[in-house]
Amino acid sequence: MIGLRVAAGFVILAMAALLFYLSYEGTKTFYVDRFPLWKFLFTTTFDPDIGKVGAGVFIVGTIAVTLFAICIGGPFGIAVGVFLSEIAPNRMTQILKPAIEVMVGIPSVVYGWLGLTLLVPLIRTHTNSPSGFGLAAAGIVLAIMILPTVITLSEDAFRSLPGALKEGSLALGATRFQTIMRVLLPSASSGLAVALILGIARAIGETLAIQMVIGNATQLPLGIFAPTAALTTEIVTDMPGATEGTLLEHALFSMAFLLLLIAMLLIVFVRLALRRRT
Amino acid sequence: MIDVPETATSSTANKLTATNVDVYYGTFQAIKHASLAMKAQRVTALIGPSGCGKSTFLRALDRMHDLTPGARVTGEILLDGENIYGPDADPVVIRHRIGMVFQRPNPFPKTIFENVIYGPRIHGERSHAVLVETAERALRAAALWDEVKDRLQRSALDLSGGQQQRLCIARAIALNPEVLLMDEPASALDPIATSKIEDLIGELKAQYTVVIVTHSMQQAARISDDTAFFHLGEIVEVGDTNQIFTHPREKRTEDYITGRFG
Amino acid sequence: MAVVAARPVVSGLAATGNVRERRIADAIATVVLWVMASSIIVLLVAFIAYMVYLGWSALTPDFIFGVPRATTAGGGIGPEIYNSFYILILTLLMTVPIAVAAGVYLQEYEHAGRFRNVVQFCAESLATIPSVVMGLFGLLIFVYLFKWHFTALGGALTLTLLNLPSLMRVTQEALASVPDTIREASMALGGTKWQTITRVVLPSAIGRLTTGVVLVAGRIFGETAALIFTAGLSVPYNNPYSLNPMRPAETLAVHLWYTHSESIVPDVARIGNGSALVLLLMVLLFNLAARVLGRQLTKRFTGRAE
Repeated sequence: MIGLRVAAGFVILAMAALLFYLSYEGTKTFYVDRFPLWKFLFTTTFDPDIGKVGAGVFIVGTIAVTLFAICIGGPFGIAVGVFLSEIAPNRMTQILKPAIEVMVGIPSVVYGWLGLTLLVPLIRTHTNSPSGFGLAAAGIVLAIMILPTVITLSEDAFRSLPGALKEGSLALGATRFQTIMRVLLPSASSGLAVALILGIARAIGETLAIQMVIGNATQLPLGIFAPTAALTTEIVTDMPGATEGTLLEHALFSMAFLLLLIAMLLIVFVRLALRRRT
Repeated sequence: MIDVPETATSSTANKLTATNVDVYYGTFQAIKHASLAMKAQRVTALIGPSGCGKSTFLRALDRMHDLTPGARVTGEILLDGENIYGPDADPVVIRHRIGMVFQRPNPFPKTIFENVIYGPRIHGERSHAVLVETAERALRAAALWDEVKDRLQRSALDLSGGQQQRLCIARAIALNPEVLLMDEPASALDPIATSKIEDLIGELKAQYTVVIVTHSMQQAARISDDTAFFHLGEIVEVGDTNQIFTHPREKRTEDYITGRFG
Repeated sequence: MAVVAARPVVSGLAATGNVRERRIADAIATVVLWVMASSIIVLLVAFIAYMVYLGWSALTPDFIFGVPRATTAGGGIGPEIYNSFYILILTLLMTVPIAVAAGVYLQEYEHAGRFRNVVQFCAESLATIPSVVMGLFGLLIFVYLFKWHFTALGGALTLTLLNLPSLMRVTQEALASVPDTIREASMALGGTKWQTITRVVLPSAIGRLTTGVVLVAGRIFGETAALIFTAGLSVPYNNPYSLNPMRPAETLAVHLWYTHSESIVPDVARIGNGSALVLLLMVLLFNLAARVLGRQLTKRFTGRAE
C-alpha cells in the first residue's frame, strides 16, 4: 500500500521537477541575460543575434492559430457530439466512434505530413498565398486535430444529462431540434465549456503538425494566409540549432516555461467550470 | 377484451377513446387489447399492481413511445374522434393538446418563469405580454402563484419537491391542453405536498380531462370519477369509481382492492 | 381557480402553420448534422486512401529494412522502425507499473483528501503540458544535466513522464468499470483489500486496461516532439540495431519530421510518403489490436464477452 502511495506521489514529484527546472532555465533570460519580462511578453521583435527576444510575436501566433482552430472545431465538435448523443442510430455510432478513435491515434507528425502534401498545395493554387504555408493551413489542420477531443467530451456532456429533461420538453410538444437548442445545450453548458477548454489546451500544445505547415516565419500573422509562427513551433524550429547558455536557448526555455504555466492555468479553468455544474 | 361500458353518466362526451391498444417493446407485449373511454371533465384513474402496464398505457396516449426505439403501438386512440396514430397526425400537435406530468418533477434548469412559458414559447408565442399573463394564469391554476410570484426570475431548481411538481403542472397547463395525463404525480412527494396536488386535481377537472396513474387505491378513491383496473397488461375492469371500490364485478379486481395481492 | 384561456384552442391533429415551420427547421437541422458527422468519416477514409496511394510504391523491402542515407537517394527506415519499438517497450516497462500502481491507489484506496487532490491536479496538468515542453525538460535533465547526450533511455524516460497521466486515467477508468458489488462480495468472504484488488478487481478490469494501454502505446509510437531533443535525430552507424539504451535513437515519427525539415536527400517525397504510410498502418494495427486483445482478455478472465 505504501508502494502505491509512492507511485501516486511520483506524479507530484514529476510536476515539481518540471516547475523547478523549467523555471530555473527559463528565468535565465531575465536575470542572466537581463532581458525584461515585459519586453519578452509584449514586444514582437525576435532576433537573438541583436539581443532582442520579444516572444510576443509567437504569443500572438499561438493565440491566432488557436482561435482559428477553436472557432471551426468548437461548434463542429459540439454539433457532432449532439449528433452522437441524440440522433445517431446504432449503426452510425458503430462506424463513427471507431473513426474518431482512429483520428485520435494518428500521430501529429502524420497530420502535419497530410497538411503538407494535401492542404498547402491546395491553398497555394486557390488563393493568393505564394507558398500556401501560413495561419490558415495550420488552423485547419489544428481544427481537425482537436475535433476528437471536443466531440467526445461534448457527447459525454449530453449523455450525462438526465433523460427526464428531454422527455419533459418533448412532452410539451417541442421538436427534437427545439429540445436540443432550448433545453439540452443550456443544460450541458458546463460540460461543453470543459470540452472547449480542453480543445483549446490541445490546440495550444500542438507542435509538429502546425510546425510543418505554418511557415515558421518570425513575423506576426498579417493575414490568414501569411506565414507565421507559434510558441511551440518556434521551439522546435530553433532549438536544434541553439547552443547551451546562449540568449536564444534561454528564451526558448522561457517560452517552454510559459507554456507550462498556461497548461496549469487551463486546468484551473476546467476545475472552475466543473464546479459550476454542481 | 372488455367492452367499453355504457355507464349511466355517459352523457358527458368521450374525449379520449382507446380501442384495442397493444404496446410492444420488441417482442415483449406490455399492453394487451386495452380499450378505455376517458370522458371530458372527469378524472379517470388507472390502478393496479406495479409493473402491470398502467404507465405504459398512459404513455401511449400522447405518443411518448415514439421516443423509445423498438417500441410499437397498435390499435386506435381517438382524440375527439381523430386517431392520434393516424398517418397525418403530428405528435407535436398531439402533445399540445394532451399534456403530461411525470412521476418525478423534471423542471428545466431555467428560471421559474422560463419553465412555465416554455410550452407557449416553443409553439410560437412571441408576445411578452401574453407570456407574462399566461404564466400568471397557469401558476394560479396550479396553486403556486402566491408562493413564487416574487421570485419568478429565480431558478426553478431552488423550489422544494412539491413546488417543483406544481411548477411542472403549471408548465403543462400553460399550453391549455384538453387532456392532462399524470403519471403518479404525487408518489415522490411528502403527504402535505400530496394533498395539495390532490386538491389541485379536483379543481383542474372542471376544465380538463384528467387521466391519472396511481399506485394508491386510497388516492384513486379520493379523487377520481372513473377507474380502470390494470393487471398483467390488460384492463380487467372499468367503471365508476364508487362502483369499482364497493361492488367490483371481477374477482381479480376484488382481490386487488382487498389487498390480497399487489 | 382555473381560468378559461384567452388563446384559441388548437384543433385537429395535422401539422399546420407554426408546426410545419418547426418541422422543417427540425428536418434541416437533422440533415446538417448528418452531413457533418458523415464528413468526418469521409475525411478519414480520404486521408487513409490518399496516404496509401502516395506511399504504397515506397514500401519495398529495401525501404522497410534498409538504413537511412544522409545525402543520397535510396535510404530506408529499418533502424527507425526498430527504435520506435525499442523506445515504446522501454517506456511501457517503466510507465505501466507506476501508472497502474498510482491509478489503483487513487481509485481503490484514497477517495478524498488533500493528497489525492494534489495528485489529481498534477496529473491533469501533466496531461495538458505540450509534448515539446516535456521534450525540453528531457533535454535539460538528460542531455545537459546528466550529460548523456541523445539516448534512447532519455527519450523513454521523457515519454514516461508524458504518458503517466493518460495511463493513470486508463487504469482508473478500467477499475471504475468494475461494479462495487464485486468488491463487496470479496470483502464479505473475508478477503483483504489487497486480495480483493489483485484477485478480483484487476482481473475483471484487465480487458479495459489492456485496450487502454495498447491505445496509449499507439500514441507513444507516434510521438515526436518529446523525442527530437532527447533521443535525437540519428542512429549509430556501426550498430543501427543496438540493444544499448544509451545511444541516439531516431524513431520513425521523428524521421518523418526530419525528412521534411532538415534532410537534403533528393527523394524526400518518397521517404516521407513511405514513412507516413508505415506510421499510419502501425496506428491502425495498434487500434485493432487494442480492441481484439481487450475482448479476448475480458473473455478469458471473466468468462463473458464485454
